[in-house]
Amino acid sequence: MTQPISRRHFLNLVGAAGGSSAILQTGLALGLLPETGPLALADVQPIGRASRRILILGAGVSGLAVAYELERKGYDCTIIEASKRIGGRILTLRSGDEVDEMGYRQVCEFDDKPNLYFNAGAARLPGHHLHVLHYCRELRVPLETFVNDNRNAYTQDDKAFDGRPVRVREYATDARGFMAELLHKAVDRNAFEMPLSEDDRERLLAFATTYGDLTADGRYRGSERAGYKSGGFVSHGEIKEPLDFTEILKSDFWRYRMHFSEGGDQAMPVMQPVGGMDNIVRAFVKNIRSPILTNAQVQAIQLRNDGVEVVYNHRGKQHKVSGDYCFNCIPTHLLSGIYNNFSKEYAATLATLERGHLFKIGLQMKERFWENDNIYGGISWTSQPIEQIWYPTHGIHSEKGVMLGAYTFREEHGMMFERMNPRERIAAAVAQGERIHPGYGSYVEAGVSVPWARMNHMMGCNTRWNDELQGSKFRLLQDPDGRHYMMGDQISYHSGWQEGAYASAHHAMGDMDRRVQAELAAERATG
Amino acid sequence: MAVNRIACLLLFALALAVPLACADDKPVIPPDKFVYCTVCHGVQLKGNPLIEAPRLSGMDEWYVERQLLAFKNGWRGTHANDLVGMEMQPMAAILTDEDITQAARYVSSVASEPPPATIDGDVQRGQSLYATCLACHGNNGGGVEALGAPALTGLNDWYLLRQTRNFKDGTRGSHEDDIRGAQMRAAAQVLADDEAIRDVVAYINTLQNR
Repeated sequence: MTQPISRRHFLNLVGAAGGSSAILQTGLALGLLPETGPLALADVQPIGRASRRILILGAGVSGLAVAYELERKGYDCTIIEASKRIGGRILTLRSGDEVDEMGYRQVCEFDDKPNLYFNAGAARLPGHHLHVLHYCRELRVPLETFVNDNRNAYTQDDKAFDGRPVRVREYATDARGFMAELLHKAVDRNAFEMPLSEDDRERLLAFATTYGDLTADGRYRGSERAGYKSGGFVSHGEIKEPLDFTEILKSDFWRYRMHFSEGGDQAMPVMQPVGGMDNIVRAFVKNIRSPILTNAQVQAIQLRNDGVEVVYNHRGKQHKVSGDYCFNCIPTHLLSGIYNNFSKEYAATLATLERGHLFKIGLQMKERFWENDNIYGGISWTSQPIEQIWYPTHGIHSEKGVMLGAYTFREEHGMMFERMNPRERIAAAVAQGERIHPGYGSYVEAGVSVPWARMNHMMGCNTRWNDELQGSKFRLLQDPDGRHYMMGDQISYHSGWQEGAYASAHHAMGDMDRRVQAELAAERATG
Repeated sequence: MAVNRIACLLLFALALAVPLACADDKPVIPPDKFVYCTVCHGVQLKGNPLIEAPRLSGMDEWYVERQLLAFKNGWRGTHANDLVGMEMQPMAAILTDEDITQAARYVSSVASEPPPATIDGDVQRGQSLYATCLACHGNNGGGVEALGAPALTGLNDWYLLRQTRNFKDGTRGSHEDDIRGAQMRAAAQVLADDEAIRDVVAYINTLQNR
C-alpha cells in the first residue's frame, strides 16, 4: 500500500533532484515558504576532482563571500587586497583603530569598551536584505534591532522656526493635521475631478479625520500625537498648540527627511550586528581557508581566452598569477588607473562611473545626554552640512555612547568636510550639533571622521549611477568581460548597500557556475 | 637612449600582452611610503581621469620637487576655487624635505605609455599661439630647467587645460610667494579665451617628444 507523501517529504525529494532553488520554487508554490522575495543564492555545483583557480580582487564583503562559497565547492581561491585591512566599506572603529585617510592618518581615541564603537561604513540591515541576513544566520553573527527613526528626535532648519529644533513628533503630527484638514475641506466642497459617491465621501472624510486627528468639524486643533505640553499622567494632559503651518512649509524637512524612514530600505525595523558591523567580516575570515593577501596592490588585469592574468605588487616584489576566472570588486573609479585589456565598451563604461563623497563622523560622548531628553536611538535631521545625527541604540543607560555626528548625503556637504582637516571637521560638527542640543560640545570626548572619497585604496563611496546610465550600461558591467566579473555593491541597483554586494557576487558566481559545468561536461565528453 | 625609450613606450602601449614588462623601462615598484601616490595617480603613475589625478610618470625630478614644495607651502591647493588641488595638498603637507626629494626621484624614475589625446582644438591656431609659450617651455614643449619652465608634453591634456585655466583666472599662481606661478599666471593672459587654451593644448598634444 502506498503511503501518502507529506509535503515536507515531497520537498526533500525535489531538493535531491533539483537543488535548493527548486525547493524554494516548489515550496513557494505549495505555500510552505514565506514569500519574502526570492533569495537568489547561486547554487554553485561542486567541481569534484577538477581544478579551477579563482582570483578575487578586493577583500570587501563581495570578495569574501565569493571565496567562502567557491572554496566549499572545490575551487582554489586567492583574495588580493590592496589595503592592509579586510572588509572594504564595512568599517567599525574602536579604541586605537587607525583611520587610513590620505594625508590625514587618524587614530580612534574612543575608550576601550565594547559598546563604544562606530560603524563608519555600512550600518543598517533591513529585514528584506536576504543575502546579508542569510550570512548573519549561517555564520552566527548575532543581530539586534537598530532604531532608525525616532519621533522624539529633532528636526532643525535654519529657514524655519527661527532655526530652533522642533521634535519630529510635533512637526510630523502638525504637518499631517494641516494636510488632513485641507483634504477634509476639499471633500466638503466636492473639489475633486472624479465624482464621489456618498459612501466614498463619508469614508474619505472619516479617513481625513483619523489621519490628521481632526475635530468633529474637520479642523486641526492639535493632537496628543504631537506630545503634551504638560500633564498626562497624574493630571489632565494639555496638548500643544499646533506649530505655525507656514513655518512647517518653510522647513525643508518635508522634502525627504520626514519620509526617510518610510523608504523601502530604511523602514523600521532594521538591524545591526551586536558589537559592530565588522563582526560579519570577522565571521567570514574565520570561515575562509583561502589565502587573503593584504597590502597587495593590483597593477594589471589581462584577459586571456582561457583565463585571467593579474599582476600585483606585494612586499616590494611584483607577482603575476593566473586564474581560470576573476571576480573583481576593486572600486570602478580606481580601475582606470590600473592596466587592463578590457574590451573597449566595458572599459569606457567603467570610466564613466564617478565616485561618491559620503562622509561620516563618530563622536564619543561622556554622557548619554539624549536619553535625558527622551531620545533612545534614531535620527535628528538638520539643514546644516552635518545633515543628521544618530543616537546609538546599543548601550542604553550605560555611562557613555558613540553618536554619529554627521552623515552627508549631499555631495557638496561631503566635499566641504573633505577639504577640512580632521580637527576642523570635528569642530564644525560640534558647532552644528549645538544648534540641536545646546551644550553638545561639552560632552564630546573624542571624534573620528571618515571621508570615503579620501580613504586609502577606496577613494569614493558610493558609485554614482544615474537612471540613464543604469538603463543603458548596467547589464554590460554585470555581464562578464571574458572570464572577468565585476561585482560588489557598485554592480547592483543597491550601490552603497551591503546587500547589493552579496547579490552581485551571487549573480556573478551563478553565471560562472553554468560556464564551469559546461566546460566540465565538455571535458568529460572528450576525455 | 631617448629613441630607445620612446620605442619601448610604444611597445608598452601596443603589446598589452606583456604589461609592465618593458626591456628598458621595467615597472618601478613604489617604495612602501609612496604606494599611496599610485592609488590616485594610477599604476606607474599613468594618471586617472576619474580621480582627476594627472599622469606623473617621468616628470622631471626638479619640477616634481618644486611642485610638492608648492603644495606643502600652500602655494597650491589652498585657493578657494582649487578643489582638486585641495585634495592633493594634505598629502604633500605631511612630507618632510627628505620625503620630497625621494618622492621626486621616484616619480621621475617611472615610465608609462604617453597619455591619450582627449581634447580637440584647432592645432594650427594652437601652433601660432604656442609661439609665446616656446620662449620658456621650448619649441618641442620639453621644458627648460634653467628657466624653471616644466615640460608640457607627457601630461594629460585635460590636466593642461585645467591648469592653464587655473593660471588664467588666478586659481593658480596668486600666492604672493609663488614667483614661478605668478610668471605663468601673467603669461596665461596671452590666451584670450577658453577656445585659445584648447587650441594650444591640442597643439601640445602633437608634440610627442618624451
